[in-house]
Parts: sequence; structure tokens; C-alpha cells
Amino acid sequence: MSRVTRREFLGQAIADSGSMAMAQQNTQQNTSSDIPRRPLGKTGLQASIIGMGGYHLGSADDLSTAKRMVDEAIDAGVNFFDNAWDYHQGRSEEWLGAALKGKRDKVILMTKVCTHGRTKDVGMKMLEESLRRLQTDHLDVWQIHEVIYYNDPDLIFAPNGVAEALDQAKREGKVRFVGFTGHKDPQIHLRMLRHGFAFDTVQMPLNAFDASFRSFEQNVLPEANRLGMAVFGMKSLGGSGEMVRKGGIKVEDGLRYAMSLPVSLTISGMDSPEVLHQNLSIARGFKPLNDQEMHAIRDRCRFEASDGRYELFKTTKKYDSDEGRKMHDFPPVAQLPA
Amino acid sequence: MQPANGGIPRRSFGRTSLQISALGFGGHHLGDAEDQPTATRLVHEAIDGGINFFDNCWEYHRGKTEDWMGSALRGKRNQVFLMTKVCTHGRDKDLALRMLEQSLNRLQTDHLDLWQIHGVSFENDADLFIRPNGAAEALEQAKKQGKVRFVGFTGHKDPAVHLKMLNTGFHFDALQMPLNPFDGSFFSFQQQVVPEAQRRGMAVLGMKPLCGAGDPVKKGALTPEEALRYAMSVPGVTVTITGMDKPDVLRQNLRIAQNFAPMQREEMKALENRVRSVAADGRFELYKVSLKYDNPEARLAHEFPLDMQQKEVKEMMRSTENTGHPYPQLEKAK
Repeated sequence: MSRVTRREFLGQAIADSGSMAMAQQNTQQNTSSDIPRRPLGKTGLQASIIGMGGYHLGSADDLSTAKRMVDEAIDAGVNFFDNAWDYHQGRSEEWLGAALKGKRDKVILMTKVCTHGRTKDVGMKMLEESLRRLQTDHLDVWQIHEVIYYNDPDLIFAPNGVAEALDQAKREGKVRFVGFTGHKDPQIHLRMLRHGFAFDTVQMPLNAFDASFRSFEQNVLPEANRLGMAVFGMKSLGGSGEMVRKGGIKVEDGLRYAMSLPVSLTISGMDSPEVLHQNLSIARGFKPLNDQEMHAIRDRCRFEASDGRYELFKTTKKYDSDEGRKMHDFPPVAQLPA
Repeated sequence: MQPANGGIPRRSFGRTSLQISALGFGGHHLGDAEDQPTATRLVHEAIDGGINFFDNCWEYHRGKTEDWMGSALRGKRNQVFLMTKVCTHGRDKDLALRMLEQSLNRLQTDHLDLWQIHGVSFENDADLFIRPNGAAEALEQAKKQGKVRFVGFTGHKDPAVHLKMLNTGFHFDALQMPLNPFDGSFFSFQQQVVPEAQRRGMAVLGMKPLCGAGDPVKKGALTPEEALRYAMSVPGVTVTITGMDKPDVLRQNLRIAQNFAPMQREEMKALENRVRSVAADGRFELYKVSLKYDNPEARLAHEFPLDMQQKEVKEMMRSTENTGHPYPQLEKAK
């Protein structure tokens, strides 16, 4: 498979969105039932405002369900696919790779490297594994996964750290764009940005509760926007729907809040066709909320936002992977669930 | 209050003339003692060894540690400075006062020397504390009624949360926080909170000198003596509270405290530097970066998930016979 040039890619993306619109018995114009696309920072790519989360894909019933979901998402106009080297010990990447066979060029494919402080070489080895599982010769976006420990920026930018792997992979044409992700503390993100490394993308939790608690929206998003980076929002509903199940927010409001922020897209986990359908219907014809509506949603969430009870990824260990815990010498999930 | 002093240094409690032993007896671990006679012996030996500061908490082992300490202190109540904590975790004044009555009953006394708000961990705890009908009013009332002499608060999570408590403007006599070589460079209470407390003339109670369960000692990062001496040497600290669930742990700590000579600044710095790389991600200070040390009461009041493997949760489920109504379980006053 040859690498897609930027021009070819754009042409492809435009053609896709056209055929997708027809498939939905709508006009070829950008109509009320298209999933809108936005520029992916300065990359020249256009991404659907909703992206398919890789972790939850690996939680689907089986491979054939996962394949159906990916197909359906692409047909509906979703062109951004998230993943990570350590999701379900590789299953998420394998399933996505199998599902994308023959469709690789239609999508923006991202995965993440899970060095957690280890060296560049470990990063490059993980990249080869990710490429093999994803059945492709290049990634569109490769991000450093889970930058959540307070000394991670130091480890990442240490001599021979994983930042050098990002450079090398880009030079070798194995990845087009690079970035980092994390769900813990805006201060850690800001520390990463202060290194001045040429990150193209950055991923962070963005939701109606985040707005008033250790806020990425307040502290990191403006900085990333200023730098012209592509911003991927995540955890729009708390990571496992906590904000809906307990917080009383409607799925629609939660997702719409996240997608209305100045982001390229919102990555959402979908582990069943039902969840996929629900998200697609919210994303189709999406119109951003106005300031007043945003304000009203934030206000409704403010009290329960104030201790982080539905943002457990910030306030507990619950969302911190075993891979990272191992490298930082923390007890595994089984011993320290939160 | 000047019993036979086994050589453990004593320090003034805040700006009062009360003299507190530099080593304090942690209540939680008392409930981990093999049985009640062992616990009683531990308390007596501690007093004989020169410890006069006793820590406890309404929710430790669901009252067992208060019960055990209360009976161990029978006839010795006036020899010690007795502290316990109230576990409202943001809830109302009335609940706090009912907890106080229970603590007094269990501890077999008519007054506490110090009553503290337990486990101020969450970022909205200060707001919930100071609100109308919040626990602040209970502290005031209990003091006015002579049921407690001094009041304070404790927490192990984030110096910023402690500072928020101080910024409520409420008059606290004491506050409690983790002080150890790891804290020296990571979300540092020593750097951020101690100077502020000193400025206000508060008593500074250090805890978790060995990080809660001795992990850095088990993993060879430092020795108990280094850890304890460091904590007791933090400038401005009044007492270092540490858990002692076995006679040999008590004896080891007594020995260190009885022979205590403060670490010099350079020695403390050297120790901080030695552990700096493992301090930097909080691996030894799980109370700052995880829920591990947050008790079920705190989690329930804030609707955070319980950990079914946690000892406290198992105790809670046992004692409530899985009714699904773990809280409040306040018995009527005896």
C-alpha cells in the first residue's frame, strides 16, 4: 500500500463525503444529515467531528460486530479512528486493522505508543507492532499515550526518550503527524507543550464537567488553539458514561457540549451498534451549541463537577492503564482499582 | 500534663503552653493490633515511653480503635492529649455533633483535647465545610460547650485543598498533613502549607512519615529511622503521628524518638534528593494520587466508587449486614 499524499487524501476525503451523502439518500451538498468535518489543525486533513474510540471497539462482542461497526461508521461519514498499542493487549488494533482492510485510505488512522518513560527504541518497536496489527505501512497520527504522571514530560524528553522516536518515525514516513494524550491534569499537558516540541495534535478530556474542575477546556484548549494544533476531545461522558448514568446529563447534551468546543473532533468509545447509532444520530447535521446553551449545561453540572466524582480519570487511578502503572511502579488495577 | 518523660522531646502545641511529645500514637493502626489486650499494652507502653499524644478517628475500623483506646486510657485520660476526628466529609453540623457524642462515649471521656475534620481531600470540601449548617458550626459549638478544647482538620491529598481550608477564615488551632522526604518535592505540604500554618500560630501535626503503609521501607528506598527522623525534623512540625500495630514497631519508634536529634537542613536535603526520582510520580504517596487511603465514608459522601477489596469496605459490609445502607450507622448514645 502506497502512502497517500496530502492532495490524494483530500481528494479522497471529499469524494467519500459526497458518496456518503448519496448513500444516505440526501443531496450531495453538505446537508443537515451529514456528519460535519473540520480541519485537523494545520495538517491539511479534514476529520469528522466524531471519531471512533479504539478502546471500546475492543470491548465489542466479537470481531464481526467490530467490523460491522467500523463499516457502518465509515459509511455514515466517520473518518477518524483512534487506537492504542496497549488496548486489550493488541486486540483493538488487530480488530481495527482487519475491519479497515481495503478502506485504509478512506480514514485518518491514529494509534498511540505506550512507552511510559521507556526509550525511543521501545517506542519504535511498538510502532512496528502497531503497523503490523493495523495492517498498514503508515499512521496518520501517532501519539504518546497516557501522559498522566507528573514526571512523564521529563522522561519523554530525556535523551533517547520517546520524543526522539516521534521524530524518527516522521522522518521515515511511518507516521505523518505526532501528538500526545493524557487525562489527568492540565498542568501536565502544559508542561508538555512548554518543551516546544513540534506536536501536531493533542488529546484531552473535554466535557461539561471538565469546564469547571481542573479544566482542560480553560487551561489547555486555548493554548493548543493558539499553537494551531489539532485537538482531540475525549471522555465526553466521563469515560464510561458516568455523567449520564449518575450525573443526570443526557448523552446528547454531553456529546454536543464536547463537539461545540473549538476542537477538531471528539473521540467517543462505542462498544455496540446501539451506541454507534446513537452517536451517529447526534453527530449528523450537528450544529454547535450557542454560548447561552453551553453556559446552561455547565451550570447544571457545576455542583457535581466540583469534586471530580464523574471525572474519575482525573481524581483516581481508575483509568490509568496497567502498562503505565508497571513502568511507574504503581500497583496494578487488580490491587488498586481506583 | 507532664508525666514521666522517657526522653522524647516535647513541643508547644501551637501558641499554647501545652507540651506535646514529638512522636504521636496513630489511632488507625491500633485497630490492626492482634487483639484488645495487645492494644491496651501498646497504649500503656507508649505512655510509659514518653508519648502523650494520641490520635484517633470516628471512622477507624468502624469505632473499634476508639473503643480500644478508650478502655486502654481508663485512669490515664489526664496524662494524655487526646485527639479524634469527625467524618462528615461535607455533610451537616448535626451529623458532626452526633459523631462527637459517639466518639466521647467510645473514648470514655467528657472532652477531647483536639477534634479535627477528617480527610479533607476533595476540592469542594472547604466550601462544604464553611457553608451554613456545615461542620464548621459543629466545631464552634463543641468548643463553646467545652466538649473539645481545640479544633483542626486533616487531609492527605493536595496542599491546595489545605490552603482552601485555611482561606475559609475559620479559626483552626491545628492541622494535620503528610510530612515525609517524598512530600519534600511532590505536591509538597512541607513547602506550601507548613509555613502558612506557622504564620498563623497553628499546631502542625505531621503524619505518614513512612507513607502510610511503609512501602518505601519495604522497597528499600529508606530506613524507618531516616523516615521518622526526617518527619520529626521538619521545621515547624509539632508532632509526628505514626501507626504502631505491634510491640516491636512501637519499641523501634520509641527508640528513635527517645534518641532523637533533629536532622540538619543539609541532611534533609540530601535525603530528599536521594528519593527525588521516585517521589516525582507519587508512587510512594498513593494517598495523593489515588483513592487508596480515602475511607468509605469519604467516598460515599462524595459519591466516589468503593473498593470492595479495601479492608474498611469489608468491615463496613460486615457490620451493616449488606443492607445497602452503610451510612449513617449511628447508635443511640449509651
